[in-house]
Amino acid sequence: MGNGQSAMVLGLLLPIVHCPLPAQDTTASGVRIGITYAPGTRPALAVVQYTEPGLDSIGVILARDLDHSDRFEMVPAQDAAGFVVSLAADGPGRVTVSLQDARTGQVSLRRPIPTGAGLRAATHAVADEIVRVAFGQPGIASSALLFVRNGRIWRVDADGHGARELRTAGSPALSPAWAPDGRSFAYTAYVRSGQPIVVQDLASGARRVLDGTEYGLNITPAFSPDGRRIAFARGLESGTDVYVSSVAGGEPQRLTSGRGDNLSPVWSPDGSRIAFISTRPGSPQLYVMNADGTGQEVLARFDFGATGTTSAPAWSPDGQLIAFHREVGGVPQVFVLDPSRGSLRQITGSGRNEDPSWAPDGRHLVFASTRAGGRDLQVVDLETGRTRQLTHLRGARLPAWSPRLASGVDR
Amino acid sequence: MIRRAMGNGQWAMVIAGALLLGGCPRPQTAPAPAPMDSTAIRDSLAAAARRDSLARAARADSIARARQDSIARAVAASRPDSVRAEVQRDSVTASSPMASGLPAAEDQLLALPLYFETDRSDLTAESRALLDNKLELLRRYPRLAIQIEGHCDERGPDEYNLALGNRRAATVKRYLVDRGIADERVSIVSYGEERPAVAGNSEEAWSRNRRAEFRVTRAAR
Repeated sequence: MGNGQSAMVLGLLLPIVHCPLPAQDTTASGVRIGITYAPGTRPALAVVQYTEPGLDSIGVILARDLDHSDRFEMVPAQDAAGFVVSLAADGPGRVTVSLQDARTGQVSLRRPIPTGAGLRAATHAVADEIVRVAFGQPGIASSALLFVRNGRIWRVDADGHGARELRTAGSPALSPAWAPDGRSFAYTAYVRSGQPIVVQDLASGARRVLDGTEYGLNITPAFSPDGRRIAFARGLESGTDVYVSSVAGGEPQRLTSGRGDNLSPVWSPDGSRIAFISTRPGSPQLYVMNADGTGQEVLARFDFGATGTTSAPAWSPDGQLIAFHREVGGVPQVFVLDPSRGSLRQITGSGRNEDPSWAPDGRHLVFASTRAGGRDLQVVDLETGRTRQLTHLRGARLPAWSPRLASGVDR
Repeated sequence: MIRRAMGNGQWAMVIAGALLLGGCPRPQTAPAPAPMDSTAIRDSLAAAARRDSLARAARADSIARARQDSIARAVAASRPDSVRAEVQRDSVTASSPMASGLPAAEDQLLALPLYFETDRSDLTAESRALLDNKLELLRRYPRLAIQIEGHCDERGPDEYNLALGNRRAATVKRYLVDRGIADERVSIVSYGEERPAVAGNSEEAWSRNRRAEFRVTRAAR
């Protein structure tokens, strides 16, 4: 985005921020900048659809992205009660998207989209901007997911478009984990002479072995929030334990020891804590420790011999919640734990549901599910419970949702 | 801990002491008991506690030593340059199995998988019997080196199954090494549920997939 464009967008946004719209009620808890709605209801939004080439695909992509944000009541254009997104061809190779309040006529966002190669990415970025203008926090249409299929790492856009296998090392390649800047990812690669953690650049494909993972079975990598360290589990003859290694190099530091296997470490967003799975009580359960390995304790309560196997923790972006899966009657289901309240919420109930990962907006979860037949990825909105199938590949699993991706990151 | 460290005799002594101190209605008329007072009890408890803490330290020591040993062995067996080079290649399918150089009957014996119970890594009686035969074979062909692959059925969590498969492979290796097979002849790996032997989601398929497999890494001759 050029500076001129930034200035234009800012120019449009500033009046909204500083001059409340007439209808805005700043006391209602559901209010966000720009749009008023009662708590529990969603603002109506219409995306005008066009038949002209270029405009038609942008309209469809925008409508789907905004629908998948689960924040709007999507309505037909003629019923436009709340907000209307319209498009205008400004000349060759450029379309302008406008977000307009249907009642006041005020335009609260106007963004150009270049038609051509970057159309999809630019359209997703505008959809996220519309969500940001409406709710103060951008949408997730520009994000992407990594997952495993047939022992290979795949990538798919958050709207399910463009699923493709990446060129990676190893067979199988497992457990992809995003770097916090979204530019690289780590995974386990089974090569002939070992099972190292590999760090791979998304754009260039350049790979290297994480120092100290040349020996042993190195699994379940997770980047620290500052991107400088990777926690992972290493299996040796004595068992499996959690280690932390600096991405820049150096000897890994062991964080767990003693009875049982320890694996699947994930960092809290502030970097101070690591949740992990331990078999020390006899079956795999959820534990937490300080990032230096001290203060290890049970995180999700369980009853010996009664509570099902617990696995695959994922810390929410705001640090408040931890998702994981736990067997209920022998069938894995996704749960969300709120440690500060001690409350546990079961999210899924149909089919086998495993390996949750948080969207960067902290309200959507992706998980692998058998509810549609083979294992495929499903996305659930935790606020409405609405679920959509992301992949139709029969065999997609171990998903990892990206952080927010800056423009220019490989897609 | 105290209970484990103290033998039955010690408990009997403590109980006897307690009875003597508190349970005798007429101590004056009783024959003088064997000298046993509260100091002696305290001493014996303290000695037991000392023995216990020494035993604990020894156990911790041996766990730490075992881990250091297994790290050292893994490092010694590793080929870091090969790992780094192989990672630069795009995913290649696994190498074709190496020929064992064994006579057909023994080749088949070596290739027989061991099976495990659900979510267990200990050896069944059947597995031990089979493993004893493989042990003899490894003794007969001292040049032969193998990799033990741990595998799981599809039911457990994917990532936990990697650790479970690792434990299965490690159990099999320990059985062989404890009976005299040189450590460097046996390596381990786990594939978790990534490489099922049998497709399907029946108990029959699962039971065939909870297994350890044996790959030749150095031919018998």
